[in-house]
Amino acid sequence: MKRFTLGALALALPIAVTAAPETYTIDPVHSFPHFAIDHLGVATIWGRFDKMGGKFTIDRAAKQGTLELAVETASVSTGDSDKGARPRSRDDHLRSADFFNVAEFPRMTYQATEVTFNGDSPTEVAGRLTLLGVTRPVTLKIGRWVCKDHPFSKKPMCGGEASAVLRRTDFGMKYGVPAVGDEIRIVVGFEAYRE
Amino acid sequence: MEAALAMLWELLANPIVQSSALPLAAGLACAALLYPLRLEGLAAIAGFLAAVFAIGNFGFEPLSATRKIVLTGAAAAVIGALSDFAFKPTRFSAPLLGAIFGVAALWVFATVLRQKTPLDAALIGAGVVALTVWLVSATVSLQLDAARSGAAGLMLGLGTGFSAVLGASALIGQYGMALGAACGGFLVLLLALGPRVGAGHALTLTVSVLSALLAAASVLLAQVPAVALVALALVPVAARLPLPGTPLWMQPVLAGVYTAVPAAGACALVWLQSRGWAI
Repeated sequence: MKRFTLGALALALPIAVTAAPETYTIDPVHSFPHFAIDHLGVATIWGRFDKMGGKFTIDRAAKQGTLELAVETASVSTGDSDKGARPRSRDDHLRSADFFNVAEFPRMTYQATEVTFNGDSPTEVAGRLTLLGVTRPVTLKIGRWVCKDHPFSKKPMCGGEASAVLRRTDFGMKYGVPAVGDEIRIVVGFEAYRE
Repeated sequence: MEAALAMLWELLANPIVQSSALPLAAGLACAALLYPLRLEGLAAIAGFLAAVFAIGNFGFEPLSATRKIVLTGAAAAVIGALSDFAFKPTRFSAPLLGAIFGVAALWVFATVLRQKTPLDAALIGAGVVALTVWLVSATVSLQLDAARSGAAGLMLGLGTGFSAVLGASALIGQYGMALGAACGGFLVLLLALGPRVGAGHALTLTVSVLSALLAAASVLLAQVPAVALVALALVPVAARLPLPGTPLWMQPVLAGVYTAVPAAGACALVWLQSRGWAI
């Protein structure tokens, strides 16, 4: 009887392991939040933050998960870092008190504990974004989600793309509205490795 | 009517109008309206707040350093106006007000200093306090001379504003220019009515507190080099240069020329630094 119980436990172990919550660490080299904003009502300016870190947990059996992201606001880049003949570049301006105010608020964070699933894949994450010291609810829609082993290192990994829309004035970033649009589209491309 | 309103809103959305014509008109209107009450010095805060309203930054969440500057400037105007009525100016009033607002400057930049190492925070905090104490003391002591006070306010505002624009912050730049333009409105009334117009603490305290805090913000929150603050700190000194035998109407003009030199010097230093000069 004792031998049977041990055998049953041994058989059940792999199932229990796969059902346990898994923790993934964001790969900062392949994960970037991009943003798009209207400029003068005629064009869309795209930018991104070069430094983002964080981790998420996923429990496919319990349909639960968490997400924590931290973005260094000074790493903002819109492709205009060379000031040329001008006194400052657009990226310099974005780092000033007019926009991301990086000296006063060097980090923007996102924390979520509510994840919606479709089968085994998360489709939506409801969390709270803290930008410029103001925290507001923001929902990320996950448009792409793939989990597999890294083709070379064979480490388990997940990646994909999440998007959201927010208004910067909700976070007190009011300068330049409406010439520089209020609505910001965010697209986060990410890769993460299982711990 | 709707078309006129739309045109007005379009005008108010123009950054040049926000930081020049609007504060100038608001400063002049306030000075003219409050002149019978001896409160014409409130022109500076009236023009400044009109610009803040037009720029759309009247919210106070988050209570960032730039928003604390607006609040501290408004407090300076109220304290200045009250002290004009309540106290006779003594030789101690200018340094005392300087010390009070030096402490307030630490509150304004507390969130910025918190990001620094303790040593850096102490050094930067001491620098911000020293700048505020100096500018307030040196400018408030001009309060009995409306021409010199107005000229110092005009150039402190313009110098701070243009430096900040060159240093990557249009917001701080607009605030500074608006302060200068509001003092321009005060000077227009002075030119029109002559020596009966007085600056008092209401103007000098507001101008000095706001310019000190905006100048410090342009270093801490943008890319203005700290050495530019030394040039700006010379503006109230330049306002003291003699005006021998100058007709009354010429005094604000000549004082404006004197004070323009260090203000332009500050802008030049920011420009040179942006061109790669090690300063």
